[in-house]
Amino acid sequence: MSQVNWRTINIDALDPDSAANFDLSTLTPGLVPASAADVQSLAGQIRQLLRGGDSEGALRGALEMAPYGGDEKAKDIHLATVMEIFQSIRQSEMTPLLTRIYQSDGGTELVDCLMKYIYKGMAQASPSSGSKGTMTRQATGGFSQIQGRVGAGEGSGHTMGVLLSWHEKLVEIAGVGCIVRVMTDRRTV
Amino acid sequence: MAPPEVHHLFHHPIADHSFSADRQTLAVARENNVELYNKAGGAFRLKDELRGHDKTVTGVDIAPNTGKIVTCSQDRNAYVWEPSPSGWKPTLVLLRINRAATCVRWSPSETKFAAGSGARVIAVCHFEEENDWWVSKHIKKPIRSTITSVAWHPNSVLVAAGSTDGHARVFSSFIKQVEDRPAPTAWGEKLPFNTVCGEFLNTTAGWVHDVAFSPSGNALAFTAHDSSVTVVYPSGPEQPPKAIVSVNTQLLPFMSLVWRNESEIIAAGHDCEAYRFQGSEQGWQLTGSIESKSRPGMDGAREESALNMFKQLDLKGKTKDDTQLKTVHQNTVNTIRVQAGSPENVTQVSTSGVDGRVVIWGL
Repeated sequence: MSQVNWRTINIDALDPDSAANFDLSTLTPGLVPASAADVQSLAGQIRQLLRGGDSEGALRGALEMAPYGGDEKAKDIHLATVMEIFQSIRQSEMTPLLTRIYQSDGGTELVDCLMKYIYKGMAQASPSSGSKGTMTRQATGGFSQIQGRVGAGEGSGHTMGVLLSWHEKLVEIAGVGCIVRVMTDRRTV
Repeated sequence: MAPPEVHHLFHHPIADHSFSADRQTLAVARENNVELYNKAGGAFRLKDELRGHDKTVTGVDIAPNTGKIVTCSQDRNAYVWEPSPSGWKPTLVLLRINRAATCVRWSPSETKFAAGSGARVIAVCHFEEENDWWVSKHIKKPIRSTITSVAWHPNSVLVAAGSTDGHARVFSSFIKQVEDRPAPTAWGEKLPFNTVCGEFLNTTAGWVHDVAFSPSGNALAFTAHDSSVTVVYPSGPEQPPKAIVSVNTQLLPFMSLVWRNESEIIAAGHDCEAYRFQGSEQGWQLTGSIESKSRPGMDGAREESALNMFKQLDLKGKTKDDTQLKTVHQNTVNTIRVQAGSPENVTQVSTSGVDGRVVIWGL
């Protein structure tokens, strides 16, 4: 007789009532699907706003239209757009801008979304923050001074610096509740 | 405002606490047992211990009128304890669940109790005279995850439950052997057992930690792990609710909440203090902490002698002792309950938490 190792049987798979046999997506809030092409064209519009100097409008638009229902590619494109906005806003402008967004209608929702992008940006920036990061920064160091903007120079170390200052300013305004919501929320960016 | 009455019972987490109707006896869940404290002078003294569970006790509730105590535990059982001349007499209640029981509450009529569990069911139990036995009926559908909290409607038929699947739900637990057909409410008219009268998801779909009906039963509040408090106003049977008001706070998540009256909620949790929310159907807002931070001895601005400063620097490498939180509770508050006043006007609440303290607050 063959030996069945009953300890390794996945009993949940055999139980029709089990959570393993249940579509978990019905438990999360309904999400609007977004295709990569939509997100791409949105990115174009946002860049236009940025070029026109309306960084607040760009940030607001990007956060309101966050592609929660998009696939990985769409989300990556949008992350790149948001990072661009982050880097184009001066450190001294952050606090007044965030205060305005937070106090507007539905503002908490927007700053929660902003916090999600800060964390996602950090997650992307960290793996390559080794020697490669320092090299690129040196290579483009002069460029960043011409631009005169925070984080206009490339390099993940620099990006991380920008994200950390955004994080600091945002927690001052929206509190730790904002961080807890990012961890809790099932709608990911 | 009178200062809060602090009772530091022991250095263990308190999963749940309950006072007797006269507020002279306090039951706290401590590890595998429930400890009963009696008020002697201004302090609570350990008087009795309810031993029987063999895993962590997760819920305890004293029925105000009959004095019976119900407890539930991670060992998947519940006990009903009745006072007798020879001490507390336990009756085992088979909840018929295959995961831990997480919370238990008597219905206002005290003929039934509801126990939530990790087995995705709510066991509603009632006593059958002829068999001398507590019978458990299960509310199953459409719960998809662990039940974290249960709360009763004043009519003892509707029960609200919060779950880790992000939903707060309202069920009917009508059992015709023990109660009369209830009057129609805003939640529903015909209410056979396990009718789902409402199902609410907040925007982030985070865990629901606690649920509570308003004193009239015409509103439901719940707190979730996204640091929010949500209040739902039903409009009538089978209809979408009139209003769902959600407050996203800047604070850490709330573990427990009670209604002070129809327009005020007190909630406490990971911030180690209780906060006040005020509002109505039009909107709710956080109005502040119920703790006044200017209590004597808590201001931290003690007279510092130069000697003391250098002593501290030498011993700890810093001059200020910052190991104490500025709040009365020194760790997460797990449970908040009504202590005094009528349901429409609560004047005192009690809180208990991970720090082993039970605190009584005047409002």
